Amino acid sequence: MRYFVARVIQALIVVWAVGTLVFFMLRAVPGDPIQALLADVDPSAADAIRAKLGLDQPVFVQYLFWMRNTLAGDLGQSLYGSHQAVSQQIAEAIPRTVSLALVAFLFSFTLGLTAGIVSAVKRDSILDYGLNLAAFLGISMPSFWIGIVLIIVFAVNLRMFPAIGYKPISAGLDQWLRYLILPGLAVGLPFSASIARLTRSAMLEVLGQDYITLARSKGLNERRVIFRHALRNALIPVVTVMGISLALLFSGSVVVENVFAIKGLGRVLIQSILNRDYPVVQGSILLVAVLLVFMNLAVDMLYRLIDPRISYD
Amino acid sequence: MNRHLRRIIASLSPQQKAQIEEERRRAYDFDPRDPLFGLSTDELSGPQLSRRSFLRLVAASGGTLSMSHLLGAAGIVLPQAARAAAQSGGHLICGWAGTAEITTLDPAVINAVLQFQVASNVLSGLTHINADLVAEGDLATDWSVSEDGLVWTFNLRQGVTWHNGDAFSAADVVYTYNRSKNPENSIHYGNLINVLDVVALDDLTVQLTLARPQASLLVKTLERSSGRAMTIVNGNAIESLGLQEYGLKPIGTGPFRVTEHQLGQGVVLERFDDYYDPARPVLDKVTIIPIPEIEPLAAAIETGDIHLIGGNAVAAELIDRFLGNPDLVVDEIAGNGFQSVFVNPWREPMQVDDFNPSVDELKQQNGFKVRLALAKAFDRERFIQRALFGRGVPGFGTINPAMGFYFDTAINETSEQRFDVEAAQALLADAGFPNGEGFPTLKLLTTPAGRRAAEVMVDIYRNNLNINLELDVKDFTVLIEDAFRMEYDLMALGSGGDFDPDDGLVDWMQTSSRFNGPNRNDDDLVEKFGERPFGSFSDAYVDELIDQQAVTADPEARKVLVQEANQITSDKVASIFTHHLTEILVHRAEVTYPAESRIVGLRDLDRASIG
Repeated sequence: MRYFVARVIQALIVVWAVGTLVFFMLRAVPGDPIQALLADVDPSAADAIRAKLGLDQPVFVQYLFWMRNTLAGDLGQSLYGSHQAVSQQIAEAIPRTVSLALVAFLFSFTLGLTAGIVSAVKRDSILDYGLNLAAFLGISMPSFWIGIVLIIVFAVNLRMFPAIGYKPISAGLDQWLRYLILPGLAVGLPFSASIARLTRSAMLEVLGQDYITLARSKGLNERRVIFRHALRNALIPVVTVMGISLALLFSGSVVVENVFAIKGLGRVLIQSILNRDYPVVQGSILLVAVLLVFMNLAVDMLYRLIDPRISYD
Repeated sequence: MNRHLRRIIASLSPQQKAQIEEERRRAYDFDPRDPLFGLSTDELSGPQLSRRSFLRLVAASGGTLSMSHLLGAAGIVLPQAARAAAQSGGHLICGWAGTAEITTLDPAVINAVLQFQVASNVLSGLTHINADLVAEGDLATDWSVSEDGLVWTFNLRQGVTWHNGDAFSAADVVYTYNRSKNPENSIHYGNLINVLDVVALDDLTVQLTLARPQASLLVKTLERSSGRAMTIVNGNAIESLGLQEYGLKPIGTGPFRVTEHQLGQGVVLERFDDYYDPARPVLDKVTIIPIPEIEPLAAAIETGDIHLIGGNAVAAELIDRFLGNPDLVVDEIAGNGFQSVFVNPWREPMQVDDFNPSVDELKQQNGFKVRLALAKAFDRERFIQRALFGRGVPGFGTINPAMGFYFDTAINETSEQRFDVEAAQALLADAGFPNGEGFPTLKLLTTPAGRRAAEVMVDIYRNNLNINLELDVKDFTVLIEDAFRMEYDLMALGSGGDFDPDDGLVDWMQTSSRFNGPNRNDDDLVEKFGERPFGSFSDAYVDELIDQQAVTADPEARKVLVQEANQITSDKVASIFTHHLTEILVHRAEVTYPAESRIVGLRDLDRASIG
């Protein structure tokens, strides 16, 4: 329990440090959001707007206000346009990013694992070389480029899927999936390539172990040997990497969201950085930091449940 | 001429074609020595020119009359088939190019053309410009002006209803004025500085009192899309919904009402059944999706996922591809803005700290010689071909071709900036840099979106003057800060959405213009450079001309002042004016977009139909 409390305190300190760093770094980078806001209008209105948004205060005072509001659960409002609440922007964006990451995860898991197993079992065959080449290409190609190729092939030429957009799951599972297949593939393919390579090497290592030879010598069916004895052991490093990959899938979707015109968390973040929309950048990064730090903490805590030999006392 | 217009003309009877020919003949049939071009003073004065007067002035100014001008003047309405098609209703899906979201629809904080392209379908103003950039009544039916040009009385349309069911009245106009004149509420309060007061004389009459006469009042200040300060808003709705919600789903009196708006995912507009014109809108529903990337936008219109493109300018490299697609209609007209390269007059070797001397006197100074050499060496035709795939016209001033009547078609022949590479080389040599030798490497400030065009500029200068420019690419938020503080050597910057000469001259070319380095005297800069009396340009005579044109109501007299100011700013290289963009509307062939809705810069969808 004491360990758990200590870890929670550590996590909170990390989140505070990230938030503080982002707050001061944002103000150090060049670019004045108010001048950009007023570019097409009257720069002399800048002072009135700065005062209204509290940006005329010294940076440290702004920081104290921000801390106070954040602790009270208020992430502030966008400096632009309709001044939408940051929490609302994030709340609207998260389901889209999670949907995209989920579909991408399913693609990367299914394709990567299948290709890795086939490649290992058919080692040094033409199929193995072909899959290796495909995996190499998959790792080398940036996801936004894959996205554009997928649009040209499957949307423009074959007319199988829409080129852009997103439908929420409330519009129907089929519609939700129809709009997510191409962006999901664009994000998932590079990850499936990594998983395929990792699975292949893990499988090859396990397939060379004595206990596999023993299983085969006992006359076990090859499918049973591969799936029951080899794959289960080979999966341990793969699953570990896939856990990390899930977080990377979120960042991978940042660029792809732009290509497919999906307003997810990545697009919120990019747009707000370009606009120097301080509250939105701070809120989004803080949320990402909280998610990552506490997911890490949860995983650490879960080790105890998974493996009772681990003790934190 | 677009395909739609060609279809209409083909379907006209011989009698109607003869009528059009007669309109064209009468428009050009004037004695050039007659200062009024055959028009009476009554026809020239008043708050709005008649269409016939306008045609004659366009012809007199050397402009070319388009078929859409002539159709209307001949009193010819769309043939039956086209009208029937225009009644089909339907759901139009639009892609808004080059943007990740339509941040707001509240006119008080709208700061981009792509936002008021949407808002113009939802909200109304007292006036709205037509395709000739002439103001017509929107919520005002007619108006009169006092002899001194200071008091304007507007009669408002009866029976207008807001989208929430409220009745529209003069009180809404007064509310909008009071809201917009406060800089804490509206970033456009500056547009109302000349308006001293707005009062409701009764429920359907409002009176505006001006500090001084203003020629651009109807087109710039009161216009529903470009004005924004006086785009009429509903006070009750702002109170009840709050600013945030009103910014997303404003309550207006326009042809469409906003039913959904999720930032970044798009806006859904539905037909407003109680719109004051029962014939409009034709469409039942419009969905607008922001699409930031070029290729997905192209794919979306090619596949039919979207039917029409709005928002930022369509990337020039896509246009030939669209033209080759029989499913798409591409309509090109003169754009309403200017593009230029600002040359910092406070930096060597192009320093000029006083632009008041005559051009001949300025030509004796080395700093001016360098500026002029840079302007004259800029091969605009080559630049337009290489950087814009031919989609643009050479520019020599802030007054753009879309302004038609005010645009000087001869300026490409008369401007000191006209292309002459040998003269440019001679000027540079005279300034102490023969064949570019010893010329410092200047930085050309641009945005990531402008990088491609800037690279072509660098190449042109290397070839024509043997000088090197270095690109300095910064996000717009940083560039605009540098622009206002005059912290650049050369800077590619321009303007869009300019409907009135004031948009070019008042906003950019006066000593007090808002884009003339307003932050050049920030404390740290004064310590470094001392007080600088202006940013990029200042000429007392030009200031006077611009002031004068702004209060001149007679169009012909105003045109003379506008063109003189434009000529001087061009000759004195206030900036290197490079080009005016072509405005391109792309839609699928099944969309009918009538010529009368083809207002430069806007996407008015109330007359559009699909199917």
